Amino acid sequence: MAKVLEGPGMGLMKKWGIHVPNYVVVTSADELAKLGQANDWMKASKLVAKAHEALGSRFKLGLVKVGLDLSGAVAATKEMIGRHVGSITVSQVIVSEMIAHKEEYYCAVKSTREGTEILVANCGGIEVESNWDRVKRLCLEVGQTPSQEPLEQLAKDAGFTGLLVKKMADFAGKMFACFDSEDAQYLEVNPVVTRESDGAFVALDAVTLLDGDAKFRHLDWNFAFAAEFGRAYSKEELEVMAVDSKIKGSVKFIEIPGGDTAMLPAGGGASVYYSDAVVARGGKLANYAEYSGDPPDWAVEVLTEKICSLPGIKNIIVGGAIANFTDVKKTFGGIINGFRKAKSDGKLRDVKIWVRRGGPREKEGLDAMRALKDEGFDINVFDRYTPLTDIVDKALQK
Amino acid sequence: MSILANKDTRVVIQGGQAGVNAARRMAEFCYLIKRPLNVEAFVYPPDAGKANEIPYGSGLLAIPIYKTIAEATKHHSTINTSLVYIGADRAMKGGMEALDDSHIKVVSMITEGVPEKDAKILGFHARKLGKVFNGPSSIGIISAGSCRLGVIGGAFDNLVLSKLYREGSFGVITKSGGLSNEIIWICSQFADGITTAIGIGGDAYPGTDYVNYLEMFENDLQTKAVVIVGEMGGDLEERAAEWYGAKKRRVKLIGVVSGFCQESLPKGMKFGHAGAKEGMKGEGSARSKSDALKKAGAIVPATFGALGPAIKETYQELLKSGQVKEIVEPVTLPKLPKTVEEAMKADEVIVAPLIRTTISDDRGDEPCYDGYPASELINKGYEIPHVIGLLWDKRLISEQEAEIIKRIMMLSADHGPCVSGAYATILAACAGIGLSQAVAAGLIMIGPRFGGAVTDAGRWFKYAVDNKMNVDEFLAYMKKNVGPVPGIGHRVKSLRNPDKRVKELVGYVKNLSIKTPCLDFALQVEQVTAAKKDNLILNVDGTMAAVLVDLGFPIDSLNGFFILSRTIGLIGHWVDQKRQDSRLIRLFDYLVNYAAPKRREVPPLK
Repeated sequence: MAKVLEGPGMGLMKKWGIHVPNYVVVTSADELAKLGQANDWMKASKLVAKAHEALGSRFKLGLVKVGLDLSGAVAATKEMIGRHVGSITVSQVIVSEMIAHKEEYYCAVKSTREGTEILVANCGGIEVESNWDRVKRLCLEVGQTPSQEPLEQLAKDAGFTGLLVKKMADFAGKMFACFDSEDAQYLEVNPVVTRESDGAFVALDAVTLLDGDAKFRHLDWNFAFAAEFGRAYSKEELEVMAVDSKIKGSVKFIEIPGGDTAMLPAGGGASVYYSDAVVARGGKLANYAEYSGDPPDWAVEVLTEKICSLPGIKNIIVGGAIANFTDVKKTFGGIINGFRKAKSDGKLRDVKIWVRRGGPREKEGLDAMRALKDEGFDINVFDRYTPLTDIVDKALQK
Repeated sequence: MSILANKDTRVVIQGGQAGVNAARRMAEFCYLIKRPLNVEAFVYPPDAGKANEIPYGSGLLAIPIYKTIAEATKHHSTINTSLVYIGADRAMKGGMEALDDSHIKVVSMITEGVPEKDAKILGFHARKLGKVFNGPSSIGIISAGSCRLGVIGGAFDNLVLSKLYREGSFGVITKSGGLSNEIIWICSQFADGITTAIGIGGDAYPGTDYVNYLEMFENDLQTKAVVIVGEMGGDLEERAAEWYGAKKRRVKLIGVVSGFCQESLPKGMKFGHAGAKEGMKGEGSARSKSDALKKAGAIVPATFGALGPAIKETYQELLKSGQVKEIVEPVTLPKLPKTVEEAMKADEVIVAPLIRTTISDDRGDEPCYDGYPASELINKGYEIPHVIGLLWDKRLISEQEAEIIKRIMMLSADHGPCVSGAYATILAACAGIGLSQAVAAGLIMIGPRFGGAVTDAGRWFKYAVDNKMNVDEFLAYMKKNVGPVPGIGHRVKSLRNPDKRVKELVGYVKNLSIKTPCLDFALQVEQVTAAKKDNLILNVDGTMAAVLVDLGFPIDSLNGFFILSRTIGLIGHWVDQKRQDSRLIRLFDYLVNYAAPKRREVPPLK
């Protein structure tokens, strides 16, 4: 799943006929001031300014300002741009018109195994979260498109009456069209509001999760996906991602500051069991990493260098199950090169290395690892006869 | 028995190289269990009409490639299963094509990164047709002793170590491809091995999930217990737990779930597989899955490490209750023939080399000439003549020697368009012949009458010097045993019209303080022969030959100096003609003396 920031998210909704407030995304107060001269709505309406970053609880952080006039929005933008919150620096601000409204509703579309669910409630904002039973669902089979009648029934079930039934049904239909056409995995608008000026339903705030794997058929996805865990990717993480995007197979790397057990395991499945074993043993993970699908040795070498450079590590877990087709000798060759480079750069002092692996050319690979002992590495090598996560137990034995 | 894949499974593989690699692994398994290869055909439009060669034992099988599934199943009506190795952007179309073919009952998709929407459509379509769609991102399916689909099971040695040549009592279902092998291995070490192991893939919505396969295992009496390896995210494990707890089940269920580390990690951190993501409200956590499985009565080891002992305990119970019997392993198993390289590495064979070389080796990161790395030669100031010295005479020549060779080459690089070699190249160039063939045509002219006398001249001058002959003895010997002296005589040059190239080379060499016995002797010979006839001078071939012999170059290499130098000129002539876009050359009649008999009547055939 790939999270999309509000700006591009609203752009996609607009494309499918959903009313959204007028908005601009700017990188400086000057830019906003200039846009203010050219766009009448910015002078005519009250404005909201929000930091356009993947940050939670922006309101508490003072990164959402409401009820502004243009000069107030320019001032708020000036104040927000460049602010540091954790590892994120605010570089964009989204300024949108405030929509005068009374009623708030809720609408979402989500992916399920059987197909799609459309969720509607006739309350919105924080009210819907405390009244979840008021959310009504319409379940659709894979490949099925909702017709007007069940959509209107859904709106009625959710408590809409009179003219609002058709409006909500239309809104939900457009949400579905956007969801289905844009390879979304989750779309949520909370709140949906009735614009006082013309009575139209408008999406005020949206959560958009797209399927990153479908990017190849969406040439207009010209926006970057947002980091998903409340912080920006580090330089090292981005470098590994750049390698990952270039190769057959994969290499993955996420830093976890403060840990002392570095992870260099193979396999998307085994890597998580290794992480579990570290946590179960009371260890502190310094990172998550994984390589799989028989990646080239140089890619594994890059990953190894990043891992050896993690500060304060005491152990490196080079774990792995019995590979199906990943060449153990070749991938270990990359790891060994990385280790050697790190050592000649003065790293890996007092770091113990723990190896366990099986698979094609396992003997050659494990022998090469064992030979590192002669080069002065503190390394312990185990083969398939040692159960998968036992090296973690050995490494973290007090 | 087994589920899903068995002795009757016949396969079509959709895709290119990855599919061929899988077929090779499948052939290794078929060889191990002494059954014919289960891959009948490939579908890969770019190579349609050709065949992929799949090693089987020590032989090679040619498996045909078709453009469409329909063609493949028309020619191979026993096909009932398809493996999809097509790229993520075209995988859905390929999967649909396979599902829609009436012969095919099972489609397993190996492709990773398939859009979720496509995977859901494929799964839905298969259910509607009552077929099985496995994957995407599946590592494959293997039924011990009967059928392998994909690379699951790993290398040949692992198939043997994990006892996949015969069936055991444990079913395996995993999301992770890498862990499937691990579990198969554990089942063979701590118990009697597996019946069938299935990789369902790590995506959020696999086409077929635990419940469907648990149902199949429940109906397969050979399978006594099933191991499922789950991970955080989604609700597949909860659904498996629900199935298991719903009523009394024949099979025992053993389950582990990964993702407990999530509890102490930043929220939303995405690990491993696409499906491995916790839900919005804590649903899908490792703990909730693990608890659900326990509650349903499954055996849930606390950690992955405890899985082996748990499987062992289950197996011991099955033994005790008589549900399974101890298996007697076969005494011998087929051994996979090694490639020559593998056998040599293992010191198992000696191979008589086909050729032997003593001059160069490029097996490292750059070529070495007589042991010297080319880049080091360059960086230390050595030049082309030194490379000639290394490759032709296996020695690092001096700077002075290199200078002489350079001059020889410069002097003999070309001699205008009229000489045999250049003319032949030009003729060929004008006939539209390519560079290498046209230059070869010119080189073919080099022989006893044109440029090819260097070796022979060197040979006989050396013979004379080695045998301390004087000029008269030499000329008498040559007249009696050989004929005209090679290196002496020129078509157009003479004493009055001397060859400036000869003068230049002789002058340079004689000015150096080196011994030149052959050159000295050749000049003496010239004095005698030129006195007899004006054009019997020491020609450029003879001069080069004498000098090169004096430098110590092997006799057999001497023509090489002319061939190499003149190649420069021949290439020049070809490029020159090409640049001018010259027309085809045809001899004019007036350049031919037609000395053949006049036209006459052909007599009747007798």
